[in-house]
Amino acid sequence: MQRALLYGLLTVIVSFLLGWYVETWMGWVLFYTGLSIHLSMHYRNFSRLERWSRERVLDASLEGDGEWDQVFRRLYRHEKELLEKIEQRERDIARLIAAVHAMNDGIVLLDGAFRIQFCNKTAERQLGLATASDRGQAIGNIVRAPAFMAYLEKADYTRPLTLRLDRYFERVLSLYLMSYAEDCWLLQVKDITQTDRLDSMRRDFVANVSHELRTPLTVLSGFVETLQEIEVDEDTRRHYLQLMGEQSQRMQSIVQDLLTLSSIESAPPPEDQLVDMASLVDKLRRDAEALSAGRHHIVLDSEGQGDLLGAESELVSALANLVANAVRYTPAGGTITLIWRISPEGAEFAVQDTGIGIDAKHIPRLTERFYRVDRGRSRDAGGTGLGLAIVKHALSRHQATLEVSSEPGKGSRFAACFPASRVRCE
Amino acid sequence: MNETQHISSIFDEELNRLRTHVLQMGGLVETQLTAAIDAYSNGDVGHVKHIVDNDRKINELEVTIDDECAHIIAMRQPTASDLRLVLGISRMVPDLERAGDEAKKIAKGVRRIYDNGHMPSQYAVGVRHLAGEALVMVRQSLDSFARLDGELAKSVIRADDNVDAEFKSVMRQLITHMMEDPRTITVAIDILSIARAIERIGDHAKNIAEHVIFIVEGRDIRHNKEAIK
Repeated sequence: MQRALLYGLLTVIVSFLLGWYVETWMGWVLFYTGLSIHLSMHYRNFSRLERWSRERVLDASLEGDGEWDQVFRRLYRHEKELLEKIEQRERDIARLIAAVHAMNDGIVLLDGAFRIQFCNKTAERQLGLATASDRGQAIGNIVRAPAFMAYLEKADYTRPLTLRLDRYFERVLSLYLMSYAEDCWLLQVKDITQTDRLDSMRRDFVANVSHELRTPLTVLSGFVETLQEIEVDEDTRRHYLQLMGEQSQRMQSIVQDLLTLSSIESAPPPEDQLVDMASLVDKLRRDAEALSAGRHHIVLDSEGQGDLLGAESELVSALANLVANAVRYTPAGGTITLIWRISPEGAEFAVQDTGIGIDAKHIPRLTERFYRVDRGRSRDAGGTGLGLAIVKHALSRHQATLEVSSEPGKGSRFAACFPASRVRCE
Repeated sequence: MNETQHISSIFDEELNRLRTHVLQMGGLVETQLTAAIDAYSNGDVGHVKHIVDNDRKINELEVTIDDECAHIIAMRQPTASDLRLVLGISRMVPDLERAGDEAKKIAKGVRRIYDNGHMPSQYAVGVRHLAGEALVMVRQSLDSFARLDGELAKSVIRADDNVDAEFKSVMRQLITHMMEDPRTITVAIDILSIARAIERIGDHAKNIAEHVIFIVEGRDIRHNKEAIK
C-alpha cells in the first residue's frame, strides 16, 4: 500500500511545485496525467481479477502489479486450499460409500416414514431393491412380505426379524432395524441361510442318532423282558434270539459307520499309495453281483488305463458305498452300470442305475448324516443313513467331488470325480 | 410418489396410503401363492388351513381399498395422473383378490390330493416350474406398480405366453399319465385343476400389468396385442 500512497503523494507535490513555480496549467496537466496513469494501473489489475474470478478451474497464472500481486497470491492460495479440502472430503465420502457397498451385510438407510434414502449393493441383491429407481419409495412397497410389514408397524425393534424370502432363490434373512441421528433408520440385513441350514442339520443329527439307536434298542429290550418274564417254547425262543441278533447287528453297523466317519474326519491326510484301479473296479463289480444275488443286470464300462494315488481303504469304502446304494435302491430286473473313465482332466468313477431316483430338492442334502428321502424305505433296505456322508468325506480327502444327478422314476447317477493330480497313467 | 406435489399434502398422503394398501394386498397374495406351492411340494397339509384363513385378510383389504378409492374420488375430484392412479387401482384390486382366491383353490386341491394318499410330485414336476414362473409374474407386476415402471409391466405381459405354453405342456404330460394308467385319473385331475389355477394367476398378473401401463402411460392396451410390441 505504501508504494501506491507514495506515488500519489509524489504526483501531488511535483505537480504543485510545477504549477507554483513554472506555469499553473503545466501543474494541472502533470497532476491529471499522473492520476490517470495511476488509475489505469488499478483498472488493469481489477479487470484481471474480474476475468480470473469467472474461470471455472483455478488459474495459477494470475499476476498483478505492485501491491496487487500480493493480494492476488493470497487469494489464489486461499482458493487452492479450499479446493483441496473439498477434494479430500469428496474422496473420503466416496471411500466410505465404497466401504458400505463392500459390506457383506445389506444396509438400507430409511427416513422417518421408512422411505428408502440409500441402500448398498448387498441390500439391492438381498431385497431386490434398485437404488436409482427406489429412492424415496416406501420400503414396504418393495419388500411386501406381510411379516416385514407387521415388523415395521409393531414399532418394537429390539429383536431382529427372521424373514424367508424367495425372490431369486430361497434365502433366510435376519433384519435388524435401528434408529440413528434424528428420525432416521438403518436397516441391517444379514444373510443367515447357511447358519439356518447348519442349525437344522445339527438338530436333525442329534435327533437322528438317538432315534436310529433307540429303535433297535426298544426291540431288544422288549424281547429281553419277554424272555425274562414269560415261559416260551424252544422255537419261539430261537426266533426271538434271531430277531435280537439282527437288531444288535444293526446297532453295530450304525456304531461302526459313526466310527468310520469320525476316524475319516480326524485322521491325518491319506498317504499317497498307488491304488490298482483295474482290480479295485473288478472287485466292486463282484461285490455288486454278490449283493444283488442275480436280481440286477450289472454292466462294467471301463475306459482308459491308469491308477489313483490315495488311501486304498478309504477309496474302497467310498466307492463300495455308491455301488451298494445302487443295488439297494434299484428294483429287481434293473440295470446297474459301473463306469470307470480316465481323461486328461481327471478320472471318474460313476454308478448309474435304473432305480427309483431322487427328487431334485433332496439332492443337496443327501450327504448329511442320517438324512433320508423316505425314512421307512431306506431302513427296510438296510441302510444306516451314514453311507453318503462317509463317501463325501472320504472323497473330499482326495480332493475329489461327488456329483449326483437323478430323475424320479428314471434312475440316478452318482459320480466320484478325481482331479488329474491324483491320476497316474502307465 | 407422484412427481408433483399437491397443494393439499393430506391428499398426497391419502394417495400414498392407497398405494401402500394395494402393495400390502399384493404382498399377501405373493405369500399365499408361495405357501400353497410349498404345501404342494412338501405335502405340508397342516399349512392349508392357514392359507384358507389368510384369504380373509385379502378380502378385507379389498373392501378397505374400494372404500378409499370412492372416498378420494368423491372428496378430491382427482384429475389427470391422479385420476388414472385411482381408476387403475380400482381395476387392479379385483384381479389381486381373484389371484388370492386361486391360491386358496390350490391349497385346497393339495389337501385333497394328500388326503387321498397320493404324492403329486411323482406325476407332475412341471407344476412347480409353472408356479415359479407365475410367481415371478405376480412379483414383477407389483414391482412395476410400486416403481411405476411401464417397461417392466410390458415384460410381464410378454411373459404370460410362456406360462400358457408351460401350462399346455403340463396338461399334455398329465394326459399321458392318465392314458398309461387309468388309476391316476383322480389325482391327475386334481393336479390339472391346480395347474389351471396357477395359469389363471398368471393371467391376473398380466391384467395388473396392463392396469399399470394405463396408470403410467394413459393408454388402455387391453385386448390389443400390438400395443406392447
